[in-house]
Amino acid sequence: MDFATFASQFLIGLSRGMIFFIVSAGLTLVFGVLRVSNFAHGSLYMLGAFLAYTAILWLGQGEAGFWLALLIAPLAVAVIALVIERGLLRFIYKREHLMQMLLTYSLVLIFGDLVKMVWGSDYKSLPVPQALTGSFHFLEANLPVYNAFLLLIGPLVALGLWFFLFRTHLGKLCRATAADREMVDVLGQNSTWIFALVFALGGWLAGLGGALIAPTVNIAMGMDANIIIYAFLIVVVGGLGNVWGALISSLIMGVGESLGVLFIPDFAIILPYLIAGVLLIIRPSGLLRSAW
Amino acid sequence: MKKLGLAGLLIASLALSGCGSTGAGAGTGTTTNKEQKTVKVGIIDTYTGGAATYAKDALDGFKLAATETAEKGGPKIEFVTRDDEFKVDKATNWAKELVMRERVDILAGTINSAGSLAVSQYAKENKIPFIVWGGMSDKITGAAGHRYVFSTLPNTAVIGKAGAVQMSKLPYKKYWLAGSDYEYGHSVVNNFWANLEKMAPGVSKAGESWWRVGETDFTPYINKIRSTKPDALVVGTGGGDMVAFMKAITTTGLAKDIPVWVHTATDLSTLAPLGNEAPEGVMGTNPYFAYYPDTPENKAFVDAFKKAYNREPAAFAIYGYMSGKFLAQAIQKAGSMDKEKIVDALEGLSIDTPVGKATLRKEDHQVMLPMFYGTTAKVGGKMMAKDIVTLPAEQIIPSAAEVLKSREKK
Repeated sequence: MDFATFASQFLIGLSRGMIFFIVSAGLTLVFGVLRVSNFAHGSLYMLGAFLAYTAILWLGQGEAGFWLALLIAPLAVAVIALVIERGLLRFIYKREHLMQMLLTYSLVLIFGDLVKMVWGSDYKSLPVPQALTGSFHFLEANLPVYNAFLLLIGPLVALGLWFFLFRTHLGKLCRATAADREMVDVLGQNSTWIFALVFALGGWLAGLGGALIAPTVNIAMGMDANIIIYAFLIVVVGGLGNVWGALISSLIMGVGESLGVLFIPDFAIILPYLIAGVLLIIRPSGLLRSAW
Repeated sequence: MKKLGLAGLLIASLALSGCGSTGAGAGTGTTTNKEQKTVKVGIIDTYTGGAATYAKDALDGFKLAATETAEKGGPKIEFVTRDDEFKVDKATNWAKELVMRERVDILAGTINSAGSLAVSQYAKENKIPFIVWGGMSDKITGAAGHRYVFSTLPNTAVIGKAGAVQMSKLPYKKYWLAGSDYEYGHSVVNNFWANLEKMAPGVSKAGESWWRVGETDFTPYINKIRSTKPDALVVGTGGGDMVAFMKAITTTGLAKDIPVWVHTATDLSTLAPLGNEAPEGVMGTNPYFAYYPDTPENKAFVDAFKKAYNREPAAFAIYGYMSGKFLAQAIQKAGSMDKEKIVDALEGLSIDTPVGKATLRKEDHQVMLPMFYGTTAKVGGKMMAKDIVTLPAEQIIPSAAEVLKSREKK
C-alpha cells in the first residue's frame, strides 16, 4: 500500500461525503425546524437528477448547459418542495408523527410513478462536462476531476448554510423556530412561512445533490431509495436537526466506506451501518446536540 | 423504520385493492366462441424501479410476438401485466391474484431472480406453466427446476461459462473479481471462475470486491482494484449498476490500464443510455445484437420492432419475443388449451428465432441459444460490439446431466 493510493482513496471518500452532506443537510434542516421526517427527500433528490437531465437536453450538451442545469434543477425542486409544503404538509403539522410519515411516504410512491410517466423507464445518462472530465495523476494514483470538483462544492454549500443560518435575520428566525415555535409566534413572527422556506431550502439541497450526482450515475427510478437510507443514517448519527452533525457524520461515512473498500473489502458493504451502530452506542443522541 | 413498514403496508394494501378492479379491463370482452382459441398470460415483472427498462423490452417483444401470431391466424394471446416492484412477496401475491381472479392459463416474468423462484414454486404447486423471461438465476431451471417452469433466456451458469470461454483465449493469469452484491452478481462471477479454473489452469484470484446494488460512486472500488494491478477484472453486475459502472470505467480510464470483462457490456440497453460516455475496449458476452447476425430473419425482427416501438431491440426484447413464439407454437402443436398438453408441447420444442434455432431443452426446460462475445468499440461514430464471435449453445450450456444432478442434490 503506497501513500498515493491511500491519499487518493481518502480524497475520493471525502468527495463521496460531500454528496451525502448536501443531501442530508436538507433532510436534517427539515427535521430540526418542521419536526417532520421527510421520506420524500430521496424523491426530491431523484427529481433533481431528472430535471438536470431534461434541462441539459434543452440547453444543449455544451459547457454552459451543465452549469445552467446545476442552477435551474435545484431551484425547480425547491419550487416543487414549496408546493408540497403549502399544499399538503402544512395541514398535518398538528397531527401525530405516523400521519406525517404516511403522507411523506405516499409522496415517495407518487413521485416514483410520476417520474416513470414523465421520463419513462429507460436508463438515462448525462455526460460529465468537458472541463471536469479526466483525472489528476499524482505518483501512481489518480483522482477524477469530477470528484475534486465535488470537494470544492461541498465546503461552499456548508459555508453558505452557515452564513444563512448564523448571519442572516431569516436564518436566525429559522433557528429560533426550531428551538421554540410558540415563542417565535408570540414575538409576532409568522412561523408558517419559515416552515415553508425551510422545506423549500431542504428541497433545494436535495435537488442540488441529485443534479451534482447526475453526470456520474445512471439516472433512473430507484435513485430515491438508494440515497434515503444513507441520508437518514447520517442525520440520526449526526444528531437530529443538527446541520454540523450531518456534515461530520457525512464525512465519516464517506471516508470510512472508501477506506473500508481499500483495507477490508469483504466488510466494506456493511461498514456504513457498522460505523453508525458504533457511533450510536457511544453517543445515542447523535454526535452533536439534537434539535429535538 | 418500523413505522415506515406499517405505512408502506397500508398504502400497498390500498394500491392492491385499487389495481384488482381496474386491471381486469385488458382481459375481458371476448366472446365465448373465441375463448376456445384464446390463451391468457399473466405477466409479473418489474415495471417500476431500476430494472424497469428490461421489463419493458421483454413486454414489447412479447406483444410483438402476440401480434404477429394473431396476424398469421395463430392462437390468440391475451395478457395482463402486474408490477412486482422488484419485490419477492409482491411477485407471489400477483401470481396468486392472476391465477385466481384473472384466471390466467400461463404465467410469465420476472427480472427479479428471487421473484422468479418464488413464482416458480407457486406454479409448481398449482400446476401452472411459468415462462421465465427475466430472472437469470441458474437455480430456476437448475436446482429448483420442475415440470412447469421454462426459461427463455441464458441463465448465470451459461453466462459464466461463456465468459470463461472468452477469457480463456487470452493470456491473463491474475484476476480480480467484483460485482453488485446480489444473487445475479455473485452467481455470474462464481460460474465464471469455476469454469475458467477448469479451462485455463494456472489462473489465480488476486481478490474480490462487492458493492451494494444502487452504488452511487464506483471510484473507491476502481481505485482499489487499480492499486492491486491485476491482469484482468471480471465484473458481475446488471441493471442500473451496469450503466453507472461502465460510466465510471470511462471517467477513471480503467479499461486502458486493466482489461475488463462484464456480461452485456456490449448490449444496446447498456450502450444506448451511455452514448459517447461508453468506454471503449470493454469485453463482454451478449445474447443478442440488432446488427448481428446479419441475417434476413434478424433484419425482419429489427424492422418490425422498430416500426412498432420506434427503437432498436435489445437482448430482453428477444427473450419476450421468443417466449411469445414458443407459446404460440406449443399451443398449435398441442392443439389444445390444456395446461398439461401445453407443457408437453413446450418440452423439447424448437423454433426459428431472429438469432437462429432455439430449443427448450426437454430435460431441464432451459432454452438452448447461441451466445456472442465481443469488445466495445466505436464503429462509424456509434458504440457497438467489435470482433464478434459466436458461441454455439452446446459449448456454453451445462449438460442436461449436470443440471439434473444439481436437482438431485436438493
